[in-house]
Amino acid sequence: MNSRISYDVIGFALFAGVILFGVPAILGYDAFELSTFSRYLSLAIVSMALALSWGTAGLLNLGQAATFGMGSYAMAMHLKLKASGESLPDFMGWNNVDTLPWLWVPFQSLTFTLLAGFLIPAGVGGLIAVFMFRARIAGVFVAIITLAFLVAFQLLVINQQGFTGGQNGLTGLAPLEIFGWVVDIYSVSFYYLVSACLLVALTLGLYLTHSKFGLVLRAIREDPERTRYFGYNVASYETLIFCISAALAGWAGMLYALVLEFASPTYMSVSFSLAIVIWCAVGGRESVLAAAIGAILVNLAEGRLSDVFVEGWHLILGVMFLLVVMFMPRGIYGLIVDAGRALKRQGSRAETVEYNPPDALLSQNRES
Amino acid sequence: MSQLQVKDLQVQFGGLRAVDGMNFDVEKGEIMCLLGPNGAGKSTTLDLICGKTQPTGGSILFQGTEISRMLEFKRARLGIGRKFQVPSVYKDLTVVENLSVARSARPSVLHSLTSRAVRRSARVKEILDIVGLVNKQDEAAGNLSHGETQWLEIAMLIAQDSRLILMDEPTAGMTIQETDRTAKIFRKLSANHTLIVVEHDMSFVRTVADRIIVMNQGKKLAEGSIQEIEANEAVKTAYLGH
Ligand SMILES: Nc1ncnc2c1ncn2[C@@H]1O[C@H](COP(=O)(O)OP(=O)(O)OP(=O)(O)O)[C@@H](O)[C@H]1O
Ligand SMILES: [Mg+2]
Repeated sequence: MNSRISYDVIGFALFAGVILFGVPAILGYDAFELSTFSRYLSLAIVSMALALSWGTAGLLNLGQAATFGMGSYAMAMHLKLKASGESLPDFMGWNNVDTLPWLWVPFQSLTFTLLAGFLIPAGVGGLIAVFMFRARIAGVFVAIITLAFLVAFQLLVINQQGFTGGQNGLTGLAPLEIFGWVVDIYSVSFYYLVSACLLVALTLGLYLTHSKFGLVLRAIREDPERTRYFGYNVASYETLIFCISAALAGWAGMLYALVLEFASPTYMSVSFSLAIVIWCAVGGRESVLAAAIGAILVNLAEGRLSDVFVEGWHLILGVMFLLVVMFMPRGIYGLIVDAGRALKRQGSRAETVEYNPPDALLSQNRES
Repeated sequence: MSQLQVKDLQVQFGGLRAVDGMNFDVEKGEIMCLLGPNGAGKSTTLDLICGKTQPTGGSILFQGTEISRMLEFKRARLGIGRKFQVPSVYKDLTVVENLSVARSARPSVLHSLTSRAVRRSARVKEILDIVGLVNKQDEAAGNLSHGETQWLEIAMLIAQDSRLILMDEPTAGMTIQETDRTAKIFRKLSANHTLIVVEHDMSFVRTVADRIIVMNQGKKLAEGSIQEIEANEAVKTAYLGH
């Protein structure tokens, strides 16, 4: 077995163990603490989604927060409609909207909502991707275009108050009801729901990165030109990973809206998008697992430290990012891989040392 | 019909006609060597055939199909492979991973999604053996020496298994022994592949070439066997300057 695969399989098993058994035990099955941790886990999904496009294919998507936001609004629209019952959502009345906008109608269906939560982001991501990658846009220009899209999309959501709740977002949501189960976010089962989503997303990510598809993406990251001369349609590879990444971000957004019990345009802000990049970089963008862990660790630190440094947290985050970029560009994952390699080298040296002593002993015996 | 037919091929960069009305055919299974002084337009000719550069005139027929407007990946799928003048392996990938990318008989997204990243098939082992990289197969390509990098590129072209292979200075920087080994590999390759080779090393050209075309200032200066070329006055003038 290839060493890349074994690292990831062992890592995944350990991670799953910690998430499913370790964390709940450490937190003493405390419902409130677990719900906070569920939030970190949903953010881990959006971070691993970025690792797929950025780490694997080298496409730095700074609009990841936009697709994340779409997922969260899809979920929130459904729950808002449920909370409003027969009447219109309250904010629409305040904005002189007197019939339910067509865009909202299908969100009365849970099935539609769950599908829309990742199909809409995937579709939008795919559309942007098709235009970018057919025109062979790469590198920093991908970051600029996706960032511009994010800013425009957030503005649109804020301006269309009557349809989106504007700056306030969507609040006063009903709890989600799925197969007759009313989801209580302060419950152990909700924690396991989010954990399961993360583990499924990671399994998908690991499958993709270890398939030939993932290998071709890594080739594209290094040299898209060269890869074309082997017959690969580079644009279609890039477009697909962009879509998958957007879909996972939307999925994460749905869970996030559930955990926080509202959707807000701040989910689609530039600073949120940059935060995703930081989590991914801290963990290590080359591995989906590492990117997920990066998101959990940074958010855990934020949860603990932002109480202490209320004002300074963003500064700390910025400095952290600078340090990572300068001193560990491959993140925590890079450190572990390098350490593993150094150990292996030491191990093989130790073996040769162990192999020699009998000879030395023999000669000593002869002498004595 | 010839496998490759190039007619009145032309490309202009600003005021410079880098390739200026080239006409030649290449037969199946032939090794055709392209010679010429620096800046003659040899690399540009290969660029035009593989799709890196768009021609401003003329046509290129590959197995009877007009390819001069096709996207590069489609030409690759038709069976045209390319080695560039500057070594271009994937430095972050291991040797076997490089070979796996190169083995691209089925390049579709769907097929990649359902295949493993690396398959150490008998054929892969055989190719590693031919180029002597068996012991380095799990090494990152970035850690290879210059010579080994050249070998890896040749291995990648063998793995790609294109019908027509375009080689730009494959022996640059190789030792005499390595160059000899490359010549043997090329002769073997020509059983199933057609090769166009740009090369400056005349002893190498003498061993491998079935036919030679000499270019100068974007134009074909001479064409023929090695003896004919070596006796050609125009070629002597072009190389000596006067
Ligand atoms: N993309 C380009 N834009 C402008 N000029 C170019 C371009 N590519 C090549 N040229 C010019 O076209 C001419 C032919 O270049 P080419 O690389 O084909 O020469 P060559 O025969 O391969 O030479 P060498 O033996 O040095 O590799 C040169 O004068 C070069 O500067
Ligand atoms: Mg050249």
